[in-house]
Amino acid sequence: MTAVIKTQNLSKWYGNVLGLSDVTLEIEPGITGILGPNGAGKSTFLKLITGQIKSNIGSVAIDGERVWNNFSQFAKIGFCPEQDSFYEEMTGWQFLTSLLRLYHLPADEIEEKADKALEIVELTDDKHRAVRSYSRGMRQRLKVAQSIAHDPRIIILDEPLNGLDPLGRRKIIRLIKEYKGEGRTIVVSSHVLPEIEAMTNQIILIHQGKIFAQGDIHYIRDLIETHPHIIAIKCSDPRQLAQRFIRHDFVLKVNFDLKKGTLLVETNNRDKFFSLLPELFVENDIKVEEITSPDDNLQAVFDYLIGK
Amino acid sequence: MSPKDTGKIAFFVKSTKDVFSFFFALAKKSRRTKIFFVISFLPVFMAFVVKFSQIFQLSRDIEGLYIFNNMIIAFYLQFLILILALFYGSSVTSEELEGKTLTYLTTRPISKSSIIVGKYLAYTVMIVFMVTMGVVFSFLVLNLSELRDLSLYRVLFRDVAVLALGLMCYTAFFTFIGTILKKSIMFGLIFSFGWENVIQYFPGSTQKFTIVHYLKSLLPSVSRGRFSFLLFRLEPSSTGTSIFMLFLIAAVFIVLACFLFTYKEYILKD
Amino acid sequence: MSIKERGYTHWDGELQDGRFPWWPITRIGIKLTFKKKFFKFVFALTLIPALVWLVGIYVSERLEDFKFMMEGETDFLNVNPLYFKTYFTNEFLLFMVVAILVFCGAGLIADDLRHNALQLYFARPLKKADYLLGKAAVIFFFLLILTMVPGIVFIIFKLIFAGNLQFFASYPWLILSVIAYSLFLTTFFACYTLLLSSIGKNRRYVAILIFGVYIFSDIFYAIFYEIFRSRYFSLLSIKSNLQQVGAVLFNQKTPVNIPWFYSLLAIVAICLFSAYILKRKVRGVEIIK
Repeated sequence: MTAVIKTQNLSKWYGNVLGLSDVTLEIEPGITGILGPNGAGKSTFLKLITGQIKSNIGSVAIDGERVWNNFSQFAKIGFCPEQDSFYEEMTGWQFLTSLLRLYHLPADEIEEKADKALEIVELTDDKHRAVRSYSRGMRQRLKVAQSIAHDPRIIILDEPLNGLDPLGRRKIIRLIKEYKGEGRTIVVSSHVLPEIEAMTNQIILIHQGKIFAQGDIHYIRDLIETHPHIIAIKCSDPRQLAQRFIRHDFVLKVNFDLKKGTLLVETNNRDKFFSLLPELFVENDIKVEEITSPDDNLQAVFDYLIGK
Repeated sequence: MSPKDTGKIAFFVKSTKDVFSFFFALAKKSRRTKIFFVISFLPVFMAFVVKFSQIFQLSRDIEGLYIFNNMIIAFYLQFLILILALFYGSSVTSEELEGKTLTYLTTRPISKSSIIVGKYLAYTVMIVFMVTMGVVFSFLVLNLSELRDLSLYRVLFRDVAVLALGLMCYTAFFTFIGTILKKSIMFGLIFSFGWENVIQYFPGSTQKFTIVHYLKSLLPSVSRGRFSFLLFRLEPSSTGTSIFMLFLIAAVFIVLACFLFTYKEYILKD
Repeated sequence: MSIKERGYTHWDGELQDGRFPWWPITRIGIKLTFKKKFFKFVFALTLIPALVWLVGIYVSERLEDFKFMMEGETDFLNVNPLYFKTYFTNEFLLFMVVAILVFCGAGLIADDLRHNALQLYFARPLKKADYLLGKAAVIFFFLLILTMVPGIVFIIFKLIFAGNLQFFASYPWLILSVIAYSLFLTTFFACYTLLLSSIGKNRRYVAILIFGVYIFSDIFYAIFYEIFRSRYFSLLSIKSNLQQVGAVLFNQKTPVNIPWFYSLLAIVAICLFSAYILKRKVRGVEIIK
């Protein structure tokens, strides 16, 4: 498949701060997830590929044409920015139709597209209310609506699920998957792995402005699986529990946090570990207060990957 | 519809028109437009007060036209149009940056120049309308007993035209300033009430470095034999030169604003 | 010495009520104002009249040395209550005070309204009065530096240059006048600025209102006076009202021949109106219609 978005040695500095460093990649039709912690450079990357900012070094092209100061590209691009900002005095309907008018569409087509977009994001009933009266979730949905209303072939979404409730998230994820089925190119950024996981297999990992992993999500997941995990268990008899755990070869290390009365267990097989846990509690009559996984997060994955 | 289909100029005009409609509608609804409208109508209130007092002989007997030309127009020319142009002109870029709504405009298939020109025109039309309404009503109230004298309407038309040209020019200048400076208000206030108010009284060619010089040059030299405060120390340029210079100043600053806006990178702080 | 553990530990002390809950608001407001570009330059400009008046006080004690420059005209260098009144009510100072308000005052409440920060403030143990006092104190800080501080410095330097306490003995009430007028001026401008800052969410718009309302009030006075020749129209002018009250506080003849308490009432009316509007506008919950 031919790449739609191509970047070559793309780099961006904000004064002395490196925003993005030497990013060379190709994005093909389908859904591509950009994953990274806060401040990794996801938004910088998306702003560069949508021509909001200029690169210091390198280039970015969509369908072989540059993006910066090439406004004709935007007929086929839809962008949902991260910032929660609107023309607050407009209604949702006015906001959408006014922006659609900038595509030089006929009036009836504008209304039709606006209606369709609002229906997709379930804002039809609230379309004549001022945007300033919208809740956080409604504002986010309106932002998504303005990015899809003109039926773009390429959709760039910067943290589109922020502020949405679980039902809203599911609906947007379903919508994105439908668009993939129609052959569109969708780039979605997030700092939440399960969100990206629910949408796509293709991931680009960004950290400190650099791409350090790109490819199938299962590869990333496997890395997580083989990376030792720490589970913290607060219970009535941590020593008894520890004694039971150390018999198993998938338990690598056991530690005690005496102050908190917590047992810290390091394992390289979370599935086996969690299968064993309830059995041990019941057999030994141990009362459990709390079970947490301090390193089951993206930062831990990144730390591990960087360390690798 | 792409630029190739319809020709670049036609496409630019269409885009500008769409941006104009967008922001004119938005400005109409905004609360601060209503407040500025009220401020623009304060001279009308003044005119009513003056007229009532003249009817009940509570004030000196001064011609309505004298009050209109020397006070009302002076108020608009030397203060109100500066304030309106400064606020709306600097808002062309600044409010998109402060409100972080710039992205919505720059991710549409329209040139950045059409955003500047469209928004500039929307705001200029809005404030010209505001000022014109205020001026017309003040004029009608102050010259209530002389409305059949058609020659007076030439004065009204001339004054409205001068104020409209002033608004066009100042708004273009402040649009340019708003595009390059983050803190355009302070600079604008210093320019409006420092530079314009002081240099206009300098002798010789120096006063030609102000916009107000060309505006005042379009006003009549003597106001029916009375001292005209407005034209104090004015060494007027010719009407043709003044009109040409005003259009030139507006065009130059709008072109500069378009150029800067197109090539400058605006980073919206998260 | 105990070995400190790494990592976050909860603070074991007791939380106490702050005696001045408004102080953090003031401190941040002052800090943010100083961070603005050109503010320091503009602020320095506003101190020029104070410097000029201070030099005048020095020259007044060395009149013989400077007589050749004065060409006999030395009346204006008599350092008396009139001298002080001239400083406090001069147009340049008042104009620069308004310029300072544009920097330090325009965004005080407007920015909080824009970013919905009022909810954050009132989710803390902070009363509305504390919030407003904190904001007003920012204005007080800057304006008192321009008014009260120079006034007191003038008196001190006059005494130092004279080498005796005769000036103080002649005008013992002068220091009270300086303090009273400074507080009066600052309180009015604090109310004025906070009122306008609470009207809009856009700091640029508020900056223009701060400047515009001040200038327009004077223009209206000029226009109405020209038509009606009645000095009572001076009540429309903020500057004129301040100058009237200033003259009275320094025991001088008022510039406009109308009862001075009318001017005081006009100023107080603006302050009361400001208090009314602030009470309505500043609240933790925004009602969207």
